[in-house]
Amino acid sequence: MQVPQRRLVHLAPLALALGVTAWLKSWEEIPRWVKYYPRDWKVPADKQLDALFNFFAEEVDLGLFTFKELTRGFAWVIERLLLFVQGVFAKGFEFYGDAMTPWLVIPPLSWVAVTGLFAILAYWASGRALAILVAVFFAYFAVFDLWENAMLTLASVFVAVLLGIAIGVALGALGYRSRVFNAILTPIYDIMQTTPIWSYLVPVLVFFGFGPLAGLLATVVFAMPPMARVTTLALQRVPANTSDFGDMAGCTRRQKMWLVMLPSARRSLLIGINQVIMLSLAAVIVASIIGAGGLGADVYRALTALRIGDAVEAGLAITLLAIALDRISQGIAMRRPVHEVESARNLIRRHPLVTLALALVVASAVLGPFVPAVKSFPDSLTISTGDVWNDVVKWLNVNHHETIGGFRDFFIIHLLKPVKLFFIRLPWPAVILVAVTLGYALGGWRLALLAGLLLTGIALSGYWKQAMISLYLATLGVLASMLIGAPIGVAAALNRRVDRVVTVIIDTLQTLPTFVYLLPVVMLFATGEFPAFVAIVMYAVLPAIRYTKHGIANIPRPIIEATDLSGATRMQKLFQVQIPLALPDILLGVNQVLMMAFGMLVITALVGTRGLEQEALTSLAKVRPGTGVVTGLGIACLVIVSDRMITAASVLSRRHLGLATAAPAMA
Amino acid sequence: MSDTASKGASPPGREDEVMVRCERVWKVFGAGAERVIAEHGASVSDETLARHELIAAVRDVNLSVNRGEIFVIMGLSGSGKSTLVRCMTGLIGLTLGRLLIDGTDLMNISTRDLVEVRRYKMGMVFQDFALLPHLTVLGNVVFPLKIQGVERGAREARAREMIELVGLSGRERYYPHELSGGQQQRVGIARSLTTEPEIWFLDEPFSALDPLIRHEMQDELQRLQGILRKTIVFITHDFDEAIKLADRIAIMNEGRVVQIGTPEGLVVNPANDYVAEFTQKIPRARVLTVRAVMGPPGRAGGEPIPENALVHEAAERVLAAEQPLPVSNARGELVGSLDRDAVIRVLLEKDRG
Repeated sequence: MQVPQRRLVHLAPLALALGVTAWLKSWEEIPRWVKYYPRDWKVPADKQLDALFNFFAEEVDLGLFTFKELTRGFAWVIERLLLFVQGVFAKGFEFYGDAMTPWLVIPPLSWVAVTGLFAILAYWASGRALAILVAVFFAYFAVFDLWENAMLTLASVFVAVLLGIAIGVALGALGYRSRVFNAILTPIYDIMQTTPIWSYLVPVLVFFGFGPLAGLLATVVFAMPPMARVTTLALQRVPANTSDFGDMAGCTRRQKMWLVMLPSARRSLLIGINQVIMLSLAAVIVASIIGAGGLGADVYRALTALRIGDAVEAGLAITLLAIALDRISQGIAMRRPVHEVESARNLIRRHPLVTLALALVVASAVLGPFVPAVKSFPDSLTISTGDVWNDVVKWLNVNHHETIGGFRDFFIIHLLKPVKLFFIRLPWPAVILVAVTLGYALGGWRLALLAGLLLTGIALSGYWKQAMISLYLATLGVLASMLIGAPIGVAAALNRRVDRVVTVIIDTLQTLPTFVYLLPVVMLFATGEFPAFVAIVMYAVLPAIRYTKHGIANIPRPIIEATDLSGATRMQKLFQVQIPLALPDILLGVNQVLMMAFGMLVITALVGTRGLEQEALTSLAKVRPGTGVVTGLGIACLVIVSDRMITAASVLSRRHLGLATAAPAMA
Repeated sequence: MSDTASKGASPPGREDEVMVRCERVWKVFGAGAERVIAEHGASVSDETLARHELIAAVRDVNLSVNRGEIFVIMGLSGSGKSTLVRCMTGLIGLTLGRLLIDGTDLMNISTRDLVEVRRYKMGMVFQDFALLPHLTVLGNVVFPLKIQGVERGAREARAREMIELVGLSGRERYYPHELSGGQQQRVGIARSLTTEPEIWFLDEPFSALDPLIRHEMQDELQRLQGILRKTIVFITHDFDEAIKLADRIAIMNEGRVVQIGTPEGLVVNPANDYVAEFTQKIPRARVLTVRAVMGPPGRAGGEPIPENALVHEAAERVLAAEQPLPVSNARGELVGSLDRDAVIRVLLEKDRG
C-alpha cells in the first residue's frame, strides 16, 4: 500500500468539509437539487419490489403448485417442529380424531420438571451455584405468572437456535472448503446482520403468513450469520498438524470434517452457539411483537397500555432468561471433559444426571394429575409487583417531572435538534463526495468506490432524508458512547477495583436483548428521539468501555516498564504512551460501538424515531415488502460504509505504529 | 551429495529394500511454480526464483531410506525438512521429481489409493501431538482403526496393546488435557502404531518437550525400535538428537540436502563448513567407532573389543589395561588393536580440523 502518496489526500476531506460549511452560509443560493434530492430522480425500487413480491406471492405458478404453496409448504415443515417444541414446553398435545373432544391429551412438561431440567443442565455445565441461580430464575417465571409466555419464548429460541446451528455450520464448512464461496458469503452475512429485522420480517410475512413462524424465520436469518462465520474461522484455526493427522490416518473427506475438524474446533463452535442463542433470544423477543406470543409481546402490550408494572416484570423475565441461557451455554463452552474414575457397568451410576432428569420428568408427569401444584404453579400463590412499579413511575412523574423533563428538553434543544438539522441540511452530493475522498484516503480506491456506490444507492432510492436522520442519531450515539465509555475504560484498565465492578456490570448488561433497554427509557422519558438516543448510548457504551480497557491493558509490559523507568509521571504515561498505543484497539472498539448503535437504533423505531428504521417498521404494518427491503438495505449501506471506514482507519493507525495488522474484528 | 558413510559400516537397514526414495524432488511455493521449474530444471538460479516471486522449500533432493533403518533429516527451521516430510507423506504435492513409497509413485496414484497407503503403510507422529481433544486416550489410539472400519472388539484390543507398549496402561480413559506433554506424545506414538505401519514418520516428535523428558522419550523410541524394527523417518532440528538416534542422517540447509551419512561419517568427514558447525560440538568418543581409530593388529592382549563399539564404550577398559587391546570384527577375526594414546586423543578432542 502506498501510504505516503495518500497522505496528501488526508487533507482533502477537511478541505471539502470547509467548503461545504462555506456553502451552507449561503444556503439560499444553492440550487434546490443540491439541497434536496429531487423527487423525480427517485428510482422506484421499493414500489417495483412490492409488485415483484406480490407477483411471486400471488401469481407465480410452478406447474404442480404455486410459489406461495411452495413457501407455505416449507413453512409447514418447520412449523411442525415449532409446534412440537411448543407442545413440549408450553402447550401440550391434543389428539382429536373425529370427535369434538380430544381422545388423548398429553400435558406439557410441568413447571417443576422444566425448572428441574434446566437446573440439572446448569449443574452439568457449570456447577451448583449456577444450578441454584437458574432454578430461582425459572421459579420467578412461575411466581410472576409469566410461565407460559416464558416457555413460548424458550420454544422459539430453541427451534431458531437449532436451525441457526444447522444452517450456520453447513455454510461455515462450505466457506472453509472453498475460498470463492467464502468470498461470496461474507458480504451476504454482512448484509444479513446489518439489515434491520423489520425488513426481512415483511417478505417473510408475505411468503409465510402471519404467526410465530414468520418471527422464527426472521430470527434465523438474523442469528445464523455469526455461527457460519465462527465455523469457518474455527475450522481455519484448527492446528495444521491436527488437520494433517486426519489425512495421515487415512480419513475420507467426510470423515475428516466430522471426526477430526469439527470436534477439534468444538470450543470455538460452542462460543459461536452462545452467540446464536443470545442473538436468537433478542430477535425472538422483537419478533414476538408482531404476532407471535411470548415475553416480548407481554412487554410490548403492557408498554403500549402504559401498564408499566407488568412491562417491568416481563422485561425482568426476559433479562433472567437471557442471563440463564448465556451462563449455561458459556459454561458448556468452557467445560472440559474429565475422565471417568471407574468403568461402572451400571448405566444409572454412569449417568447420574441423565437418570435424575428422567426421574424428574416421569415423577412430575405421574404426580401431575393428582397434585395440581406440580402441574402448574397455583394461581393463588402468584404475585405481582406491578402496582409498586406503577407507583414508582407515578411518583417520578409527580415529584420529578420537572427535573426529568428539563433534562430531556435541555438535550433535545441543545444537542439533538441542532445536530439533526445539520445532518438534514447537508447537501447530498457533498456528503457523497466527502465519503468518497475519505474512503480513498483511508482505504484506497476500492473503499472510495464502495462508499460512493452505496451512498448513491441510498440517494437513488429516494430515502436520503430518512437515511440522514438515522445517521444523525447513530453518530450522536457513537460519539456520546465514546465520550462516556472511553474514560470508564481507562479507569478500569488502571484500577483493579474499578475493573471488577465494571466487568460485572458489563457482562450482565451485554447479555440483555436490545428490547429490554427500551423499558427504562420509556418509563423515564416517554417516546421520541431522546429516549431512543439514551437507549442507544446505554447499549453502545459497553464495547466502548471494553475495547478501551482492552487496548490499554494489552500494551506490552516492557513498554510500560521502560516508560516508568524513564521517569514519566502517571499523566505523561497515560497521554503520551498508553492512549496513543491503545488507539488501534480503541478504533476497533469504535467499530463495535457503531454496530451496536445501529443495532439499537433499529429497535428504537418502536419508540418513535424518524429515520430509515421507522420506514422499515411501518412497511411491516402496511405489508409493503419492497419498502421494507429498500429501507433496510439503506441502513445496511450506512453501516457497511462506516464500518469499512473505521476498520481502514484502525489498520492505518496500526501500520503507523508499526504493529502487526490484527485480524478484522468479527461483528 | 555423496554418501560418506565410512566403508564397511553396515547400517541396520537393508539396502536392497528401499522404502522411501526421493528422486530430484522439488517443492516450490508460489504462483506458476510448475512452469518455471519445468522450464529451468534443476539448474534454476536463486535470481530466477526471486524474479518470479517463488520460494523453493525443497531443492533437488535425492535420497533413499532403507527398510528398518532410522533415517534422520536434520535441519534448522526453514531448511525445508518439514516440507520434505510432507512431500513424502503426500500431504503436499511435489513441484518436480518422483517420490516412491515402497515402489509406489505417490504422485501417480488416485486419492483413494493414497488413502489406502496412508491407512496401511504409514504412521506419523507430530510435534504438537495433534491429539483429538474430545477423545480419551483409548479413543485417540483407536481412531485410525475406527475410520478403517475395523470391528470394535478387535480395534480396542489392538489399541490397548499399543497403550501398554508405550507404558500408559491405566490411563485409557483420560483426556489429552489431563496428561503431561510426554504422556501426550506417548499417546501420539501409540496412535501412529496401531495400524502397524511399515514406514513411521516422526516430525520433530520431542521438540515440544522439556530436555529431561526429551531424553527419556529418545530412550523410549530406541527401546520401541528394538522391538518393532520399523523404517523410520525422523525429523529434528537438534543435532544431538540426530546423532543419538540415527543410523543415517541427512543434513538440510536452504532446501538442499548438504550431506548424508552415518553420525560417525559426518563427524569424521563433514562435507563443508555448515556441517562442521554442528559436528564440532559433538564429543567424538560418542560417535567414533573403535574401527575408525584403531591401529594395526600387533602386540596386544586381553579380551578383544568389537570393532563397531563406540570409543566411549571401550575407553574405560583400554585406559585400565596394561597394554593395547585387540579389536575383532563380527566374525571374531582380529582386525586391529587399540591403545591408550588413540583413546585419549579422541577423548581430548585432538585431531579436530
